Amino acid sequence: MILLAEHFVRAPQWLWYILFYFFFAGLAGGSYAIGTLLRLSGDVRDEAAARVGFLIAGPTTAICPILLTADLGVSWSRFWHMLVDVTPGSTGLNFHYWSPMSVGVWALTIFGFFVLVSFLDAWRPFIPRPVNIVFNVVGAVIAIYVASYTGVLLSVSNQPVWSDTWALGGLFLASGLSGSAALIALLIRNRADAAFSLSRLHQADGYFSALELVLVIVFFVTIGAAGVLDREIVWLPLWAIAVAGIAASLVEARGHMRARVSGSGTVAGMRIDTLVVSVLVLLGVLALRAAVIFSAQ
Amino acid sequence: MTNHWRDIKNTDLILINGANPAEAHPVGFQWFMRAKLDRGAKIIHADPRFTRTSAVADMYLRIRTGTDVAYFGGLINYVLQNNLFHDEYVRNYTNASFIVKEGFGFNDGLFSGYDPAKRTYDISTWAYEATTAQAQPNPGLTQGPPTTGSGFADRDMTLQNPRTVFQLMKQHYSRYTPEMVSSITGIPVADFNKVAQMVGEMGKPDKVMTIVYAVGLTHHTTGGQLIRSAAVLQLLLGNMGRPGGGMNAERGHANIQGNTDHAISWEILPGYLKIPAPGQKTIADYVAQSAPKKSDKNSWNFFGTNYGKFMVSTLKGWYGDAAKKDNEFAFNLVPKPAGNASWMTIYDQALKGKMEGVVLSGMTAASIGPDSNQVLQALGNLKWLVVMDALPTTSSEFWRAPGVDSASIKTEVFMLPTTHWIEKDGSFVNSGRWSQWKDQVIPPQGQARHDHWILADLFQRVKKLYQSQGGKFPDPIMALTFGYADPTKPTLDEIAKEINGKDLSTGKQMTTFGNLKDDGTTTCGDWIYTGSYLDTGNLMKRRDGIQDPAKNDPTGMGFYANWAWSWPLNRRVMYNRASADLAGNPWDPARPGIKWDATQAKWVGDVPDYPPTMKPLTQDSTAWLPFIMNGEGVGRLFSNSMVDGPFPEHYEPVESPVKNPLHPNNSASPVAFLYDQVAGRPNRFGTAKDYPYIATSYRLTEHEHYVTQHVPHLVQLQPKPFVEIPYELANEKGIKSGDKVRVFSKRGKVEVFAIVTKRLGPMTVAGQKVYQIGIPIHWGYVGVSADSDPSHGRYWLANALTPFVGDANARTPEFKAFLVNLEKM
Amino acid sequence: MATTINPGEKYGFFTDTSVCIGCKACEVACKEWNQLQGNNPRTVVDSFDNTGSLDAQNWRHVKFVEHVPDQPSTTGNGAAWLMMSDVCKHCQHASCMDVCPTGAIIRTEFDTVFIQQDVCNGCRNCIAACPYGVIGMNQQTGTAHKCTLCYDRLQGGLEPACAKACPTQSIQFGPLADLQQKADVRLAALHTQGATQAQLYGRDDSVYGGLNAFFLLMDKPETYGLPSAKNATLPTRNNVGGYVGALITAVVAVIGGLVAFRRRGMTP
Ligand SMILES: Nc1nc2c(c(=O)[nH]1)N[C@H]1C(S)=C(S)[C@@H](COP(=O)(O)OP(=O)(O)OC[C@H]3O[C@@H](n4cnc5c(=O)[nH]c(N)nc54)[C@H](O)[C@@H]3O)O[C@H]1N2
Ligand SMILES: Nc1nc2c(c(=O)[nH]1)N[C@H]1C(S)=C(S)[C@@H](COP(=O)(O)OP(=O)(O)OC[C@H]3O[C@@H](n4cnc5c(=O)[nH]c(N)nc54)[C@H](O)[C@@H]3O)O[C@H]1N2
Ligand code: SF4
Ligand code: SF4
Ligand code: SF4
Ligand code: SF4
Ligand code: SF4
Ligand SMILES: [Mo]
Repeated sequence: MILLAEHFVRAPQWLWYILFYFFFAGLAGGSYAIGTLLRLSGDVRDEAAARVGFLIAGPTTAICPILLTADLGVSWSRFWHMLVDVTPGSTGLNFHYWSPMSVGVWALTIFGFFVLVSFLDAWRPFIPRPVNIVFNVVGAVIAIYVASYTGVLLSVSNQPVWSDTWALGGLFLASGLSGSAALIALLIRNRADAAFSLSRLHQADGYFSALELVLVIVFFVTIGAAGVLDREIVWLPLWAIAVAGIAASLVEARGHMRARVSGSGTVAGMRIDTLVVSVLVLLGVLALRAAVIFSAQ
Repeated sequence: MTNHWRDIKNTDLILINGANPAEAHPVGFQWFMRAKLDRGAKIIHADPRFTRTSAVADMYLRIRTGTDVAYFGGLINYVLQNNLFHDEYVRNYTNASFIVKEGFGFNDGLFSGYDPAKRTYDISTWAYEATTAQAQPNPGLTQGPPTTGSGFADRDMTLQNPRTVFQLMKQHYSRYTPEMVSSITGIPVADFNKVAQMVGEMGKPDKVMTIVYAVGLTHHTTGGQLIRSAAVLQLLLGNMGRPGGGMNAERGHANIQGNTDHAISWEILPGYLKIPAPGQKTIADYVAQSAPKKSDKNSWNFFGTNYGKFMVSTLKGWYGDAAKKDNEFAFNLVPKPAGNASWMTIYDQALKGKMEGVVLSGMTAASIGPDSNQVLQALGNLKWLVVMDALPTTSSEFWRAPGVDSASIKTEVFMLPTTHWIEKDGSFVNSGRWSQWKDQVIPPQGQARHDHWILADLFQRVKKLYQSQGGKFPDPIMALTFGYADPTKPTLDEIAKEINGKDLSTGKQMTTFGNLKDDGTTTCGDWIYTGSYLDTGNLMKRRDGIQDPAKNDPTGMGFYANWAWSWPLNRRVMYNRASADLAGNPWDPARPGIKWDATQAKWVGDVPDYPPTMKPLTQDSTAWLPFIMNGEGVGRLFSNSMVDGPFPEHYEPVESPVKNPLHPNNSASPVAFLYDQVAGRPNRFGTAKDYPYIATSYRLTEHEHYVTQHVPHLVQLQPKPFVEIPYELANEKGIKSGDKVRVFSKRGKVEVFAIVTKRLGPMTVAGQKVYQIGIPIHWGYVGVSADSDPSHGRYWLANALTPFVGDANARTPEFKAFLVNLEKM
Repeated sequence: MATTINPGEKYGFFTDTSVCIGCKACEVACKEWNQLQGNNPRTVVDSFDNTGSLDAQNWRHVKFVEHVPDQPSTTGNGAAWLMMSDVCKHCQHASCMDVCPTGAIIRTEFDTVFIQQDVCNGCRNCIAACPYGVIGMNQQTGTAHKCTLCYDRLQGGLEPACAKACPTQSIQFGPLADLQQKADVRLAALHTQGATQAQLYGRDDSVYGGLNAFFLLMDKPETYGLPSAKNATLPTRNNVGGYVGALITAVVAVIGGLVAFRRRGMTP
């Protein structure tokens, strides 16, 4: 990590499309991963929640390529140049392992396939256990890449802030997972068949948020070392929202831990309403990405 | 230029005064950089502003505008006091040894013969003694010509006689001490002394310095003398006529040199022949009053001797068969103006209502000033105004300028679309006197017509009117030769051929002006161009250049004799006889101009400024002296050809914050022509009390004066009008870069934004602190910037500020030094 | 400067700021040749610079830095009013090329860095990557634009338009080796003249493996808005850190998840 880096770059003007792409990519990857985790370590009572996870991954993944393409200068006619090199004389597939954008596009494409299958399976189950679990685990690996590479992509540049930290990949992943947990919780909060998973989702969300908090700190330390802290000042409100989200899910999770210790099956009355928490968390996920993306430009 | 652009690479030291070549002549400037990079030459730039030229100069001096006479005067004094002048050169090649008449004197800022009422000099005392003393061999240090007693000027080759030019000059400039120079120019004594030392070195025969100037010297009421002061220094150092030396004026528009040669200015005919004066009836009268007189027995007085031949051949060229011996070659058809007809005079006359109409071609009066508001009034006083231009100008649009009530303007304005110079072929003559033929780049656009076609057509129509209706004095029109294939569409090729002139007896093109005759058997359109267009073809088209330097530039001095054609007679360095000593050997063998080749018994190198086979003075005591255009045959340290003094003297600009430290009682030029005063209008000059800041105006490299307001790519580079304000002054006034400011003089105002910079700064002059501010000339109410501005460029004309006064000799306006005040808006 | 131009050889620019006169002929020549209409006029009020920066319409940009001292008399020699004609550096290790996902950015047969307009899809990753802020988006074409080092002219055996127009030879074009040698000579000359602050930028491989368009500067790189050698690093340097960070997070998160969702109690 360079101390006091100087930047003379021009901003790429990655704005709203990219913000929402990052947001949905985080949720898509996160939901898929959580769905898988639920199936892996949860029991039959978690299947409903797990399926919700895969169902969420469907639409959120579907939006991604649309947002990505819309952001291109030559959108619809050339988005495929990402995959195919049309350079006269050296045409062929484009796979630049050193370029997160290139790898990411491939990952997204392949992930698309896994999501499609798992989505259908979640909607009208047709893959027998444990095949689907194996399938999900493979998919989840890609899902985690999709949820995290966007952060790495930003770092692999010469932009201030972005290129001055190594925490973004992890940060986006953690917040993506946290957001997904919150989103699933939100969708199942009134479903009796999934009630079982609710408090454990909040608990997981707690872990993810804790992790996220650590990474936020790492982020600030690293960019502080690079001497670009000042760029964040204007974006403090966004950071506030992000931290609020983290805090909410931590408080919520703490409640569930207590509940578990007290051995009682229900924690009613002790917890803030899932709706509020989840919304706060999701807002936080968006705000965090916004703060990071805008702070360089 | 006495030399030429490429020649600057041959120099050891470059003094740049009143010029900003990096911005105004960027391409020519490459030769400054070659001298600097390839031979370690030093560049000293004296300028009120630190410019893009200063940025690469070895030494930049912040000088107060209008004070270069003091600067050069100080250098002259230093060179004389320390005997650093080029002795052999000064004795033999200048008029240092000439003895000046009793009665000539200089006192409290005035030369002898001043008439305060007329504000003019009677110059009869500015002349040489011509007693008839015994001729005696020259006792001088070196073998100069003997002094003479034959009615020619007396000379004292020892330079001891107190009335020699040398002694008078020494005395005159003894007042220009470093301290005095500093208190006038604002240049610190220590820095001036540094320059003096470097310049002092240049009197050695194996060293050579060039002085480069442009309108930073000419745009002053003392313009002529500013330039002469530099020329005197160059003569003292023996740098005139030598490669790498000379007095080099960087000219203006791509063809302004050609304009001048062909008599664009009022006081001359083509080839710098004087305009005839009232009372002159015969060629003899004319020559007697116009031609230089031979004042030394070794003077060829080439110009003087041939003056009549040049004039007769010109008349013959103009009036053909109507020009005969018995009618003085139609000399009576040539106008003999009683009055001055310089630029300002035209508008002065219009103001007085004495002007029916004006035709402006390739020049926009409203912008170029001075005192634009007064010029605009003048245009409004005309019956009609014809603007010949390729594009709209502030003159063609003046009647509907912002703030003007069009209804109140009676002038009928005609716009004749002409071709732009890129739409025609023809020649460009550069500052180095090279006439280079160019091709048409693009065909004429729209209805545009060539200027010369418009004028030819106009002439034919006027002629028809005279034919049908007769009229007062039709002869000059009827008699004019117009032998072009198509009399309404002459080609520039035909005209170039005509300018060269031909021998009527043989029908052949003239090859040299040396053969022009005064018997009516030869013609020319401009004698200095004779030899440019031979029967073998148009020499201005030649292009033997750097494709093969070995072949095309054998001496390596950069003459490139077969590249285009250079007047006179394809000579690349003028007065080049002075580049060699009396014996004909180059002062610096490493940098020869011409040299006497004993084996071939002729001068070799550049085209000699001398009879090619005339032996040098050491072998032939009757040989000519080097400066063949002067009556004296030598360079003039003392000259009676200027109306404001034989020795350059520092006078303050008409508007100045200080009194002249040399002679407060006669602070400014005593002979500068004051138009307003003479015309009975109030003199509108400001004083330091109301207008404490000195302003100077100039161009930016991104623009061509006004016209490039129509060129988006260039407008982008400097889009909005500004003034440059010294950092300290801006602080006093609380002005920041980008703030809108109002700059106003006694005449008018501009409202533009400020660029605050340390490139300008305070200076101490005559013991007081003065500031100079800079005003680019470009903007006005026509063009891209104005169109995108809410005020439509209402207060953007730099010349709204400048004074309606000019140089005593050339009447060039004082654009470069005037007083203004400044406020934040 | 008639150099014969052969494919396969390395070409570039030696831009000597010590002789630049800020005439901007290079900016205009570039626009004329490449038919760039330029941006709408705007006044930057930064010395004589009204171009502001390199972008899609300005592939040469002359920077002006005023360090003129207070004394009424000073030495110029390119050190008091600094002028530098900036351009794409045609880096040996080109950050833009490094991140371009489509392969639009190639190294040509003249060893220059070139954006193929028919391949670029306007993702702007190169803009995020170029440490010199060279590349801009052309709104009409939606693709990334920058100096082509006059690829078309070189193919036709012509020197680049900007170099051709430069009156002071501040911009020198030619085979890289020649230029580097010329630069060394010039630097030595300046040092002997006492201009000790003069330095070459990008002539050796200390910045991005060497710049085909390298500079002689009269002050430290930062003064001209150039990253110092220490700061001149490739974007991909962050791949490892970024991915490792993500990986650790992933592992911890997965464990967290597993713990949170771990099976407990019997199934009813
Ligand atoms: N780019 C560009 N080039 C041009 C032109 C153009 O419009 N644009 N115009 C052409 C024409 S027509 C002409 S005449 C030439 C003019 O060429 P220049 O004379 O070089 O141009 P200016 O900028 O008018 O003035 C030159 C310098 O003189 C300085 N100066 C003013 N007063 C004094 C003084 O008293 N003493 C000294 N030592 N310096 C002084 C000014 O600060 C300025 O920097 O340029 C020609 N070249
Ligand atoms: N305050 C101040 N005032 C100044 C100066 C200064 O330094 N300070 N400089 C003075 C000097 S030196 C000069 S030369 C003047 C310059 O003043 P101008 O000569 O008026 O300036 P330009 O903009 O060059 O105008 C040239 C015009 O000629 C037109 N043109 C071009 N080619 C042709 C052609 O072939 N035929 C015709 N008919 N027209 C053509 C162009 O369209 C343009 O309108 O300004 C003078 N005014
Ligand atoms: S415009 Fe023409 S005359 Fe002026 S510097 Fe450029 S080339 Fe020379
Ligand atoms: S300067 Fe920027 S655009 Fe040019 S090659 Fe280097 S990284 Fe690419
Ligand atoms: S914008 Fe074009 S050139 Fe730049 S990275 Fe994207 S595809 Fe490559
Ligand atoms: S090399 Fe060509 S494209 Fe690049 S800046 Fe110069 S002129 Fe423009
Ligand atoms: S053309 Fe040459 S001298 Fe003029 S600004 Fe560009 S680099 Fe500098
Ligand atoms: Mo001029």
